[in-house]
Amino acid sequence: MSRSGGPLAGVRVVDLGWLTAGAASSTMLLDLGADVVKVEGPGALDPFRDWTGAEAGTDWWNHSPFFNFTNRGKRSLCLDLKDPRGLAALFRVLEGADVLVENYRRGVLAGFGLAPAMLRQRFPRLVIASISSQGEDGPERDMVSFGSTLEATGGLASLTGPADGDPAVTGRNINYPDQVVCLFATGAIVAALAQRDRTGSGAHLDLSQRELTSFLLGEELIAAAAGVPTPRLGNATAAEPDEVVVPDGDGWRAVWASGSAMVRDGITLATAAEFVAGTAILHAPDGQPAKGTPFGFGTWPAGIAHGAATLGADNRAVLLEAGLTGSDIDDMERAGIVATQPRRARSE
Amino acid sequence: MIAPFAGKRVLDLSALAAQQPHGLAIAMAAKLAAQFGATVVRPVPERGDSLALLPPILPDGSSALARFLLAGRTAGDGRGRFDAAIGDTGALVGIDAALTVRISVFGPGEDPPMSELGLLALSGILSAVHPEGGVPHRLAGHQAAYATGLAAFTALAAGLRAEMSDRAEISLFDTACWVNWKEVATVLLLGSAAVARDKMQRADWHTMRATDGHVALVYMAKDWPALRDLLGDPRLHDPRFATQRARGEHMAELDALMAPWFARRSRAEITAATQRKRVPVGPVLTPLELLDDRQHRSRGFLDTQGVPRLPVLWDGEALTCVMAEMDHVT
Repeated sequence: MSRSGGPLAGVRVVDLGWLTAGAASSTMLLDLGADVVKVEGPGALDPFRDWTGAEAGTDWWNHSPFFNFTNRGKRSLCLDLKDPRGLAALFRVLEGADVLVENYRRGVLAGFGLAPAMLRQRFPRLVIASISSQGEDGPERDMVSFGSTLEATGGLASLTGPADGDPAVTGRNINYPDQVVCLFATGAIVAALAQRDRTGSGAHLDLSQRELTSFLLGEELIAAAAGVPTPRLGNATAAEPDEVVVPDGDGWRAVWASGSAMVRDGITLATAAEFVAGTAILHAPDGQPAKGTPFGFGTWPAGIAHGAATLGADNRAVLLEAGLTGSDIDDMERAGIVATQPRRARSE
Repeated sequence: MIAPFAGKRVLDLSALAAQQPHGLAIAMAAKLAAQFGATVVRPVPERGDSLALLPPILPDGSSALARFLLAGRTAGDGRGRFDAAIGDTGALVGIDAALTVRISVFGPGEDPPMSELGLLALSGILSAVHPEGGVPHRLAGHQAAYATGLAAFTALAAGLRAEMSDRAEISLFDTACWVNWKEVATVLLLGSAAVARDKMQRADWHTMRATDGHVALVYMAKDWPALRDLLGDPRLHDPRFATQRARGEHMAELDALMAPWFARRSRAEITAATQRKRVPVGPVLTPLELLDDRQHRSRGFLDTQGVPRLPVLWDGEALTCVMAEMDHVT
């Protein structure tokens, strides 16, 4: 399937995003027409490469179902950023880039010699999107959190769950803040590109998942500040106190004033007609299921042109585009700075 | 001044939406457009503005939701040419806009009656918040609609920047399914048996009671030795708890053993102790507590009336707040 164009046609993205929050934001930019180069290192793979379904004893790093699902369509550059020559090569790539997306633990980017302040100075037109749990600063900047931790610290858990029981989180299957941050971060990045169109200046976007989680409860925060109680209401809401979830055969049914719907799990969802017809999950050209996109345009419908590239598949092409010579690349390959496989075995 | 969409005129048709989930999603997208600098016009029909009446209700009788979601609009009746318009199918009829952003339930076809609870049920999100032996629960607030609003804003922003004459389509259902991708992807990639096995054998995350509330007990397999040693109960070394799978299979027993350690400590004590071991446990904070949360305070996230700024700092600065005007309120 050939696919070129889209509202972000011509925009070049360097993706240092891992797992969902960073990598899926870059995927959404790709779905809007950007060219995305995912940069990993032989000693610093996206952890999704070493995940359920990646079989040991093979080139497992190229066969992780969840990595390939999320990162379909991106080009792959495998470069050791801890080596000065690798870092210098990344700088060359960034000279031609419009956007850098990263969601490393705070401090790691700076540890690579890529502190946002330095990048802003060196690449004034670059939009740098830093997606983190707590934000770039603050007394809890380094608090270790997964998505569901942020549901707790961002206020969502306190209002979710039974009115007379314990608060609840979405857990590993959703990790809600990791998902919604992609939707917001992509919009913010596009806004920053629009601002750059006006001013010529890029930006450093400091995106806190905890803040986004609280933001999406904005009315509750305003109510609390005015002294209005904000109780946990179970499946009811203050506006719809009669909404309930009730047993229905072997499962459950959600009931509201004008209708009802079965509570699906992933298995029933996978075969539901409207899900199959929708765009939440699409298929790569090889038929493999792949992350979809929640929007499409009349002239640019949701679709996937390419599956996932193998690790480092685009090393030479990307580095040549950045102005390195074939000889430079050969040297770095021999030194293991440019690679197509990781330095470690699969974790047990 | 950071105003990427300054000079762009956007029509917010949330007050004309036939159903509440659509209206909330449209309003969220339009709110973001306004906060990123667009001039956003929000016509209100003669029959009134149902969104402006939604709870929570403040002591002065006004809506906290309206204060959060609907501020920053410019008065107008929707006539004239717009760069973009956001609405449902009916509201977009006859609108003069280069880019139209349509919010629907399922995409093509007519919208069936739908609620946010229904969207959470049909997309599988409800079943993810399903404590053992309990009832599936909705995510608090308006997550189904607001997440769709975030997606709609992203499409809107991309279309505005590219000066597209086009229609963008955003489905409430597809967005909820996109958020809840992992379980259905597991079905499609690894098979239904993998999901069933996962459910039986997964030590899933939940909250634990502390002396002054709850904490979210969140940990991966790599975190278990540190967590186990912190709790210090020799029974946690039992082979029944040796692997993540085994812990999942014996979760009730495991919880019973762990609960007393949590129940004797405050959220702050638990958080400090687990964070020292780099285990990602955190306190369950209420909206009232968040008003004085040190991280939010340090980053200037909330104003004195609890209004959050946009959850992004731009070269270290907040975007100019446009929440002061309430010119939409009927």
